[in-house]
Amino acid sequence: MIIYLLVALMVFIGLYGIIAKKNIIKIIVGMNILGYATNLLFIVLGYKWNGIAPIIPQNITVERFVQTAVDPLPQALVLTAIVIDLGFSAFLAALAIRMYAKYGTFDTDKIRRLKG
Amino acid sequence: MNHSIIFPVVIYLGGAFLLPLLYAKNDLLAGIVTSALTFLSFLVSVLLGLTVFTTGERILYFAGGWQKPLGIALMVDPLSCLFLIITNFIAFLIAVYSITYTKKHSRAAYFYVLFMLILAGMNGILISMDLFNIFVFFEIASIASFVLVAFGLRAEELEASLKYTVISFIASTMILLGLAVVYGFTGTLNITAFMRIAAGLPQTHLWFILGLFLAGFAIKAALVPFHAWLPDAHSMAPAPVSALLSGLFIKVVGFYGIIRLATNIFGSIPQIRVVLLLFGILSMVLGGLMAYGQKNIKRLLAYSTISQIGYCAIGLGIGGYLGYLGVLLHIISHAFSKSLLFLNIGAVEYMTGTTDSDKLKGLYDRMPYTTALASTGMFGIAGIPPMGNFWSKLIIIFSAVQAGYPGIAALCVLVAVITLGYFLKLQRTVYYNKASDTAKMLEAPSGMLAPMTVLAFAAVFAGILLIPGIRSCCLDKAVGVMENFSYINVDIGD
Amino acid sequence: MNNNDTTGMSEIVKGITKIVFPFIMIFGISIVLYGHLTPGGGFAGGVVLTGGFVLLLLAFGKEYTFRILPRKIAKSLDSIGALGFLCIALLGLTGGTFFYNFVPKGRLFHLWSGGTLILSNIMIGIKVGSALFLAIITLSMARLVHIKKGLLYRQSEENK
Repeated sequence: MIIYLLVALMVFIGLYGIIAKKNIIKIIVGMNILGYATNLLFIVLGYKWNGIAPIIPQNITVERFVQTAVDPLPQALVLTAIVIDLGFSAFLAALAIRMYAKYGTFDTDKIRRLKG
Repeated sequence: MNHSIIFPVVIYLGGAFLLPLLYAKNDLLAGIVTSALTFLSFLVSVLLGLTVFTTGERILYFAGGWQKPLGIALMVDPLSCLFLIITNFIAFLIAVYSITYTKKHSRAAYFYVLFMLILAGMNGILISMDLFNIFVFFEIASIASFVLVAFGLRAEELEASLKYTVISFIASTMILLGLAVVYGFTGTLNITAFMRIAAGLPQTHLWFILGLFLAGFAIKAALVPFHAWLPDAHSMAPAPVSALLSGLFIKVVGFYGIIRLATNIFGSIPQIRVVLLLFGILSMVLGGLMAYGQKNIKRLLAYSTISQIGYCAIGLGIGGYLGYLGVLLHIISHAFSKSLLFLNIGAVEYMTGTTDSDKLKGLYDRMPYTTALASTGMFGIAGIPPMGNFWSKLIIIFSAVQAGYPGIAALCVLVAVITLGYFLKLQRTVYYNKASDTAKMLEAPSGMLAPMTVLAFAAVFAGILLIPGIRSCCLDKAVGVMENFSYINVDIGD
Repeated sequence: MNNNDTTGMSEIVKGITKIVFPFIMIFGISIVLYGHLTPGGGFAGGVVLTGGFVLLLLAFGKEYTFRILPRKIAKSLDSIGALGFLCIALLGLTGGTFFYNFVPKGRLFHLWSGGTLILSNIMIGIKVGSALFLAIITLSMARLVHIKKGLLYRQSEENK
């Protein structure tokens, strides 16, 4: 129960980073923290107490393995989600570099040429 | 087993990775190859449509050859087949247009790579039946669209792309959190298996899942509390990208998800209709009013898109046969007309270099053919008979009156009058005025006029989908999917 | 290496990198190849391979790294990796459905046991390695343009 509360806390820290911070680099870090929190929620949902990793060693029967292994499906989903978040971060980092060249600043309060 | 269901996605992915290998330096050849591949994909989707619309049955496909409940499920039914045909057709016309438009951009071959990736993502969403598969294709389309919005590398485009990326990341997170909650409650991600287990869950759990998914898809569909990214992104992107985003992306990536949620997956929860009606009314009114004060023509068209998507949300919220028929016809006609308008203003920008309505005056004298096409598109969106939009707005208003909401019907008529108002004002000030500076206004090149003419014909004749003979074979089957189908009935063999 | 070479880091770092770099590459390749038996697979192995090349970039400078892996070859490897993965998926059609595992599966717990799994891992390892390498090169070769008192100064900040 307490682990889910901690994951929710991490989601709120990430959201705070995106909404309240003005520097583009801090917004990118906030997005990364939000991504980590979501992936952590997936992994925690598949956990079993005193479980083993979902890789069959050579000396175990299949029934015993199915009983004690943690769930491997969320781990596959999290791999894909990590790659997607990597794509977001790489694109935003390149965008931040180009914007510094055009606007001269990283401050989103000063990057306001589009109005209305 | 009909193997042609995978071919749209495979063609686009293969083409997107073949282009940098072979045609990275030659822009014209890259454009021709892209147009050929989109046309091939359009033919495949018409072939699928012939099978699906004549028999009225779904095509189900399990990738990987595993037994029935395992394996990734793909499905094409009349609703997704309709969207597939429209998407590939308009994408083919936009690809032909952008051969001429990208002559002013450098490294145009990479434009086509991103174009094919965004189409691969959109087609993938339309054929998947597995929730995580939908999420992965959603992300492919989104990331490709962020880069396309920033493609010209001017300062305003970068700022628009930044805003769009950050807001869209929250949409992705909402959908991923919804997936995590679905997995936590039911232990499966296949839609059919999820619905069978979810029949036993308490109502509050289903509301929570529905709320997360609806927030994610509504951000992409630009319904009103979540519309903040749309005016910047659609006004600052290059013209074929604006046409692709406003005409197809909002509907396929955002609104198609809301249609599936509201009718097939969570159809038993009545509160979703109230929420959709509220969002629809707010979008309609706000989009219409904000479009009056805009100087940038593309920004005016972007606010008009918000208004028209509001109409679709109202139709979906009302429900019933007439409501769903109006929604589908409105999506089809608006896709044709809005793409035509964005391509048109792109042609004007290509020849004169600006989209500011203060600086452009009297385009009719020097660019008569472009002006005629623009008038067609604007009358289309405003809803003048015999265009397709007129019939769809009429059907939505009738369905509102029939379901017992006369106030909403009156509001729809009022916003239609407001839409006609700002388009007439635009035509009077920009197009049919005395020409001020005619030096740079020459007629647009024919490589741009040809796709726009085809789109204009399609927008004018979209109403023939309502003739009873034709309607019973394609639109009726799609509406039947929205009304009667529930994912719980699909046979996945356990 | 001549003695007046001032790019990259000091001689100690260069010497150690020359010893360690092949081991990093072998470690990455083994993560890719044994992806169906141990944790790892295509993506994780590709990231380790990129790490090896970034080590070369930092220690020796970009001229030497571009002699070992030119940018054109990295771009081609990127596309070949993705197309190879798509071909493996399409060849599954010969066995019945899309993505079918059509290769003969060997004995359990040996290197050749997953069928198409090992081939897919190799393709993804190649693609991720070269794509991340190109991304890091692009991000680090940016040239900053300072706007200072109305004049534009161009100051190049390449990896020395």
